[in-house]
Amino acid sequence: MQAERDQLARISAGDAAAFGQWASSVESSLRQTLRPFATLCDTEAVLQEALLRVWQVAPRFVHDGRPNALLRFAVTTTRNVALSELRKTNPTPTEVEALHRALDAQGEVQPLAPDPKLRAAISKCREKLPPQPGQALAKRLEGTGDDHALAAALRMSLNTFLQNVTRARKFLAECLKKAGVDLDLELSP
Amino acid sequence: MTPEDALLVERVVSAHRERGADGAVKSHPNWHDLDAEGRQAAFDETVRQRAVERGLDLDGQSSTIKAVLARLR
Repeated sequence: MQAERDQLARISAGDAAAFGQWASSVESSLRQTLRPFATLCDTEAVLQEALLRVWQVAPRFVHDGRPNALLRFAVTTTRNVALSELRKTNPTPTEVEALHRALDAQGEVQPLAPDPKLRAAISKCREKLPPQPGQALAKRLEGTGDDHALAAALRMSLNTFLQNVTRARKFLAECLKKAGVDLDLELSP
Repeated sequence: MTPEDALLVERVVSAHRERGADGAVKSHPNWHDLDAEGRQAAFDETVRQRAVERGLDLDGQSSTIKAVLARLR
């Protein structure tokens, strides 16, 4: 609990690196809470917006003394952003009801600890990637660029770039499977 | 899924998102071009992709986290 409070103090003081560390530890859990919204709104945009709002509120956030205080706040924020996006699409009452049932069924969200075995297996598989898919995947990892710009930087057409990213992901999934790692199983909530 | 739809899914899996005039993170334009099957596929592929990205990055940061941190600067 003290480590969590120390991390929160750093985030509240504007330490972006501490925020990045915390956000990395909760990203997967927060994304899983958005699964019921997968066909209703762009959950990637929702998640980024929610994390930005958590960062903005962090200086005023007060720990309630229970574990994972900031994560619980982030779960609420994420759902609120998603529900706000959903309202813009005029959902049917049936859709809203099904959504609330799915959200009610979600248990308490926990941060996920990094899995060193998974990390090692992914690194090994990356070394075996063919050159072009490897370059495309590495560009995507940079995170901030638009696909047109990333493709141009690699002197690839947009479609070739996208096909190479897909090939890289399929190659890694196959390689991991051969190494006995089932990504879907590892990531199941 | 058609090859065209697969390319749309791939674009949506990207963490790149524009910001609106109000500063909010905007949906990917191609997300709206996908049907329910494509949207679900984009979600599932994003879950897998970000896990791989965390495993590949020295700091364990996915492209989502890098995109968010870039907005703080």
